[in-house]
Amino acid sequence: MTILGEFALWISLPVAAFGMVLGYAGGRTQRGDLVLSAERTIYAVFGLLLVASIGVTAAFLGDRFEYWYVANYSNANLEVFYKVTGLWAGQRGSLLFWALLLALFAVITVMTNQKKNREFMPYVAGVLQTILLFFIVVLLFADVNPFERLAFTPADGRGLNPQLQNYWMTIHPPTLYLGFTAFTIPFAFAVAALLNGRLDARWIQLTRRWILTSWLFLSVGIVFGMRWAYEELGWGGYWFWDPVENASLLPWLTATAFLHSIQIQENRGMLKVWNMSLVLLTFLLTIFATFLTRSGLIESVHSFAQELKIAYIFLGFMGAVLAASVVLILYRLPQLRSENQIESFLSRESAFLFNNLLLLGAAFSVMWGTMFPLISEGFTGQEISVGPPFFERVNFPIGLLLLTLVGIGPVIAWRRATKRNLQKNFTLPVTVGAATGMVLFGLGARHELPLVTWSISAFVLTVIVTEFWKGTRARARIEGEGHVLAFFHLITRNRRRWGGYIVHVGFVLMCIGFAGAGYNTDSRFNVEPGDVVSLASPFGHQYDLTYEGLSMSIGRGERNLLWQAIATVSVSQDGTPKGILTTEKRQYTNRDTQPMTEVGIRSIVSEDLYLILSAMNDTGGALRNDPGAQGIDLQVLIKPLVNWIWIGCLFITLGTVIALWPSVDRVRLAREKAEGSSELAAAGAH
Amino acid sequence: MTLYFGVALVAAAVVLFVLQPVVKGVHASLERADDELTETEARKRVALLALRDVEYDFLSGKLDEQDYRSLKGELTAEALAALEADEASKAGGGVNEILEAEIIKLREGFNSGATCHSCSYMNVEGSLFCSACGFVLTEPVAR
Repeated sequence: MTILGEFALWISLPVAAFGMVLGYAGGRTQRGDLVLSAERTIYAVFGLLLVASIGVTAAFLGDRFEYWYVANYSNANLEVFYKVTGLWAGQRGSLLFWALLLALFAVITVMTNQKKNREFMPYVAGVLQTILLFFIVVLLFADVNPFERLAFTPADGRGLNPQLQNYWMTIHPPTLYLGFTAFTIPFAFAVAALLNGRLDARWIQLTRRWILTSWLFLSVGIVFGMRWAYEELGWGGYWFWDPVENASLLPWLTATAFLHSIQIQENRGMLKVWNMSLVLLTFLLTIFATFLTRSGLIESVHSFAQELKIAYIFLGFMGAVLAASVVLILYRLPQLRSENQIESFLSRESAFLFNNLLLLGAAFSVMWGTMFPLISEGFTGQEISVGPPFFERVNFPIGLLLLTLVGIGPVIAWRRATKRNLQKNFTLPVTVGAATGMVLFGLGARHELPLVTWSISAFVLTVIVTEFWKGTRARARIEGEGHVLAFFHLITRNRRRWGGYIVHVGFVLMCIGFAGAGYNTDSRFNVEPGDVVSLASPFGHQYDLTYEGLSMSIGRGERNLLWQAIATVSVSQDGTPKGILTTEKRQYTNRDTQPMTEVGIRSIVSEDLYLILSAMNDTGGALRNDPGAQGIDLQVLIKPLVNWIWIGCLFITLGTVIALWPSVDRVRLAREKAEGSSELAAAGAH
Repeated sequence: MTLYFGVALVAAAVVLFVLQPVVKGVHASLERADDELTETEARKRVALLALRDVEYDFLSGKLDEQDYRSLKGELTAEALAALEADEASKAGGGVNEILEAEIIKLREGFNSGATCHSCSYMNVEGSLFCSACGFVLTEPVAR
């Protein structure tokens, strides 16, 4: 099977190249047979990449250590689950997986557009095959072929990095890749629009679902990564402004900007060049993110030499895409002129524009901070690392401004807002925001950043809740419905708007959670069995933690474990027992690594109690089950409001799914179209 | 050996599948589908949706009456312009088709003798006299 997979990968190369040529030629000559052939190459490439991926998985399952990739990311004792997910455990497999997902989305695009949007399809097929071809070329010629054989067959593999042996880590990369690859479809349609000259909002309308889907996967993928860092890395944080994290944040920032700015093009016929540029930029950033995380470039310039080939191929491709897109946009510039102009600084249009500038500013600063060490090392030979303080200093204010805009956007009027409009809509929310700040201050909150964040959050939530309330009330009055039904209909009749608001609620909840970090506490104790340590939570209650003792388990290589030390701690809150928590040290057999830490987390809505077994007083003694060697270093973190981040992500998912759901208007519109009635009475009726 | 044979078979199948449309001349459509909104329809839709939104903003109490009236006046004018543009584009296409159909009908009538040579009225096939002017129709009119 594996050898068949290798051949399939090779066969996919000419097929993708041929499909690319056919697509562009079919579009240029308007020949339907060429286009049909081009579309068939997409099915073929998908089939071939699927066979190749199955080949890699088969090599993992069959412990085929003669393959470099399997030997480096698996070993005989690895759990089957992690062997299956080995496809995306390392660089080589992930690149293949990336191509496979893109081919899957390309197939869905071709299948769903067999009867419609035909004028776009030749170039869409051409663009998609170009990108697929690029990845196939990388896989085959950039020394990252997952089918590369070693000169000898090792007895066992090196095994999977223990930190990657975690549930979140198996679903985080695929989710993120789904987001990256799904964004290729809007990009392909945008380029097709530039090539065929149909530059109205059509390409945006027909890729809206792809844009939202991609954005959803990106958002959820990033949060999965945070969750993994929080649970697995054992230092209690979820974001460290690490280059790999930043790389995934960049396309999310520009995609979010794009999601907002397309509404101005749809509603007002403005920002056409801007939207084209944003879709291009976001696509490039998805490629850049893949490049950054999968080329090993960023860790150090020294690894650059080893990975020179892949870096050049990636940079060359990104340069070519950038140049071609810029030329196309310039060529079509006369047709991309704005139909309207922003009438007033105080308008929803300008709020959207401001939102875009902020998001782009954040993207630029993250990009700069991520690349700076590399640039400085390239020029001066000295690596200057840019740490979290830089990113936080720049991005916290931007984040706060964005948060404020989330509250302003929904209620400020389109075109031009008058003073009356502002007074009418902002008096209550601003009052609530200010009151929240004062009450929190009164309760003892003294950290500025969280205090400001929570006050603004209260302002924004008031705006959104008022929106829902006013909408429901108006609908109940007009339609004579009960409030519950009116609320339900309000959302279902305009899923896009209300889904968007629910996403905003999610964002606000996440910001509230982020701000909670201002009140994190971190205490360290050296404890012997029976010792009780007491800590005060910022919420006023007291934790009493009793260290019960250490239990050792000596593994015999099963699940690659050499030994496992489990510390048990009983938790009581204000005198009430709340169960036990365990935190562990694990030593794995297969990698020459330090012992790994498994943390113990007790999660409630208001805060997380986070226990870390930092060190054992006498590891050797503990391994011999020496009763006197049970002492440990216990690190106890209290992390307020962390759960709000995950809850916020649930809201974001819910809201996006609501916005993605086919709306009643659309269905009705389609039916009316079918009946030959082109009157859009439905659109006028709310 | 079996492996290479299998690989060759897969490759051949792919080539056949991909090239079949070109060889057999099977064409995919490249035309815009009928059920897509035309540009004027899309504009009309946007204009009507904007009106709907301003209506909603007023009813839910987000806009006061003065702002509502000024915005609504502006949006109504735009929506009307969009409606007119849409109708004009539809009628533009329609008139040509109607004229062409009329001409074809007249031609056929002249050929069969049902169309009055005197007043061009289209009579029922087989009529002896024109129902409009009484002209004799029995003789097929020479072209």
